[in-house]
Amino acid sequence: MTYLSFSGTSPRRRRLLRAAVAAVAVACTVAACSPVSDSGDDSKTDENQAAGQDSFGTPADPAAVKNGGKLVIALSAEPDALDPTLSRSLYSRYVFQAICQKLYDVDEKAQVVPQLATALPTTNSDGRTVTIPLRQGARFADGTPFDSAAVKTTLQRHLTNARSGRKSELGPVESVDTPDAQTVVVHLKQPFAPLVGALADRAGMIMSPKALQSLGDNFASAPVCVGPFKFAKRVPQNSIDVVKDPNFYDADKVHLDAISWHILSDASIRAANLRSGDAQVADSISTQDVAALRSDASVAVLQSQSLGYQGLTFNIGNVDGVGATPKPINRPIAQNAKIRQAFEYAIDRKALVQAVFNGIHAVACSPVSPASPFSSPEAQACPAHDPAKAKQLLAEAGVQTPYPVTMLASNTPDTLRLAQALQAMVKDGGFDLKINPVEYSSLLDEQDRGNFELLQLGWSGRIDPDANITNFVGSGGSQNVAGYSNPQLDAVLTQARQSNDVEERKKLYGQAVTILQQDDALIYLYRQRNLTAVSTKIQGLQVFPDGVLRAAFAGFTK
Amino acid sequence: MARYLLTRAWHSALTLLLSTVVVFLGVRALPGDPALALAGEDRSPEALEAIRHHYGLDQPLPLQFAQYVERVAQGDFGESIRTGVPVSSMLTTALPVTVELALLAILIAAALGVGAGVLAAVRRGHPAEWLANGLALVGLSVPHFWLGLLAILYLSVATGLFPASGFVPLLEDPVDNLHHIVLPAVILGTGLAAIIMRQTRSAMLDSLSSDHVRTAKAKGLRPRAVITRHALRNSLIVVVTIVGLQLGGLISGAVVTEQIFGLPGFGKMTIDAVFQRDYPVIQAVVLLTATAYIVINLLVDLLYSVIDPRIRVTGDPA
Repeated sequence: MTYLSFSGTSPRRRRLLRAAVAAVAVACTVAACSPVSDSGDDSKTDENQAAGQDSFGTPADPAAVKNGGKLVIALSAEPDALDPTLSRSLYSRYVFQAICQKLYDVDEKAQVVPQLATALPTTNSDGRTVTIPLRQGARFADGTPFDSAAVKTTLQRHLTNARSGRKSELGPVESVDTPDAQTVVVHLKQPFAPLVGALADRAGMIMSPKALQSLGDNFASAPVCVGPFKFAKRVPQNSIDVVKDPNFYDADKVHLDAISWHILSDASIRAANLRSGDAQVADSISTQDVAALRSDASVAVLQSQSLGYQGLTFNIGNVDGVGATPKPINRPIAQNAKIRQAFEYAIDRKALVQAVFNGIHAVACSPVSPASPFSSPEAQACPAHDPAKAKQLLAEAGVQTPYPVTMLASNTPDTLRLAQALQAMVKDGGFDLKINPVEYSSLLDEQDRGNFELLQLGWSGRIDPDANITNFVGSGGSQNVAGYSNPQLDAVLTQARQSNDVEERKKLYGQAVTILQQDDALIYLYRQRNLTAVSTKIQGLQVFPDGVLRAAFAGFTK
Repeated sequence: MARYLLTRAWHSALTLLLSTVVVFLGVRALPGDPALALAGEDRSPEALEAIRHHYGLDQPLPLQFAQYVERVAQGDFGESIRTGVPVSSMLTTALPVTVELALLAILIAAALGVGAGVLAAVRRGHPAEWLANGLALVGLSVPHFWLGLLAILYLSVATGLFPASGFVPLLEDPVDNLHHIVLPAVILGTGLAAIIMRQTRSAMLDSLSSDHVRTAKAKGLRPRAVITRHALRNSLIVVVTIVGLQLGGLISGAVVTEQIFGLPGFGKMTIDAVFQRDYPVIQAVVLLTATAYIVINLLVDLLYSVIDPRIRVTGDPA
């Protein structure tokens, strides 16, 4: 089985990359910054899955896999409710991938492609009417037909259910029309470009109206959608089982009889299950285990750079809790951007990623992933590591050094190693970093209350850049835990979310990154690579930049 | 007797109510918010509000408590905040796993411990005693989780003798069930086996040098009969007491063992619930554990009077 590396694709792509790198280099001589160039390193074209390269997996070759068999996937955390409207856990998306198809999907280049729709949506000139053509002849697992009425029922449930996790993702939807069985028209109050990205995630998973009617809020107890597999059984805390769905429109492309996800929270136990053959796939492998697994000839490691980020958030105005109007905080680092910039200059991201994650994760300096079609040289600009500059900025700010900063961080081993490396690093830049490790649920609580000076947390990432930026740094954003507000940035972000022109959006997100790096309320550090270990007995397992493990069309090697 | 039972029942009810209050307030005193833990990454103020409302977390505490007690009295433990599954159905799937694991661990520990203990006492000064003592020392001092990891590494990954993790319900496939649970039960039983071995050995040494054993020997009984019928039988009283006392330790050991072997039991459920701040699940687990302890204690006290008529039970406070 071969897993193609991302950088070893086409010569055209490489030329583009070189052009991009050159453009950043020119921009950087002016702006004293260095480009992020880690995932697209041209010199590495071998397919040996070197650290810091993506390998998404390849589709199964129908001639090389046999039909039948049950695939066991060792999953690191338990999915929550298997209800596309209510689900909030990323792990549920792994299961949904097999049982609930979406209007749109993403490919390995993070581009949106049709799934239950037949083409990308057409948007009218004022950007407020979005038309989606639907697949004909598809059936839900209960045998009922998939049509525009079903799409409307699902979207309305997403928008009206009190506990819906989809409402904010769908944006300003005014109404949904069904001119015929194969067409859905979504009317928006304002133009909203991130809609397509949302429909390529849980918001685009269409549920059987019949099942919704009979199960209501208990849909998760026996979810019914259109998918290669259908729900069979769930043992809470333990496992989820699905079996092949004969009603699926492409059933002849499905090789497996069944898939079972076993929840095993310990990374070494997952690896052990993989080696013993009890499982064929293990997700969320630790960067520490990758080398050992790679040396095992019966295991391949897929790695796909996430669309999200890990970062450091300063509390600059979160006094009354997230979402409340920001208030000034009487701390130099909260008031003076120079001190925050100094902190950023003190960080050597490359060394950090190398030391803590064996160079597997990718350096990140902005919320826009280089894998995103909306990335640009401006969006990938990166302040260089410069401890002398950090000290100079601290002197300009007129504060005493070493300047003390307390950082709240999760108490997991990986995060603590990161925090300790940071601590040693920023010392040279004139900072005295104290680490305050807390358990994850408490961390979220402290974060939202604003009980922190500096905080380390990340975001798993979404297809559309708007979903990775606006909520976190836009004024009043539901996850703007920094209490950051910059009207200039808000204007850029609003313009970007209302534009349907990719080039214009690219430019605007580049501008947004420039503003973000000046204010430095959030310092982006690195982008995780989702690490999945797969037995070589299995073909066709893929992990794309949306982080979702795609197992539905995999098969056992003949 | 009836008066005694009534008093004990009344005390038990009071203890249960108190433990309910303690755990109800205790989980709410934990830092962290179940709504936040559930909302995960998609958390808008409206979503958090809706979650809190759905689970009644936006109500005043006394009202929440009253509603909770009322529902529990009707046998309704609510639904898990994390998965939306009724807690009672989670309990019915998790409880048999832990009970089976614990019972099997006790059986294995008793068989190993008593056997090794008798051997060590009878073959005093022989290499067999040193070996038994050495193994007991290892069993006592090596933590479960490490032994578990080693067992997975050598008995599952390297040799494939046992599955590395997972569980098959007893009723679904008894053979496969045993195949999955034997290894965790052995690991969980090692500590207890070591304790039982030490106790059996010293009790056996006492018995072997006692008068009635000497008489039995003098009567010309075969050594095997002397050991099993006369010496061991007397020593077993100690063993039974130890097993009873160690039950609590066994349950907490089961928490770790279940986590390592991915067994969907009580322990794993509790840990996951605490990390997720899944109040209804934590409350149900603690309430059930408290009830079990109270009932077992009551049974033990009643049993004493059955076993030893010199112990009398009365309704008077002790």
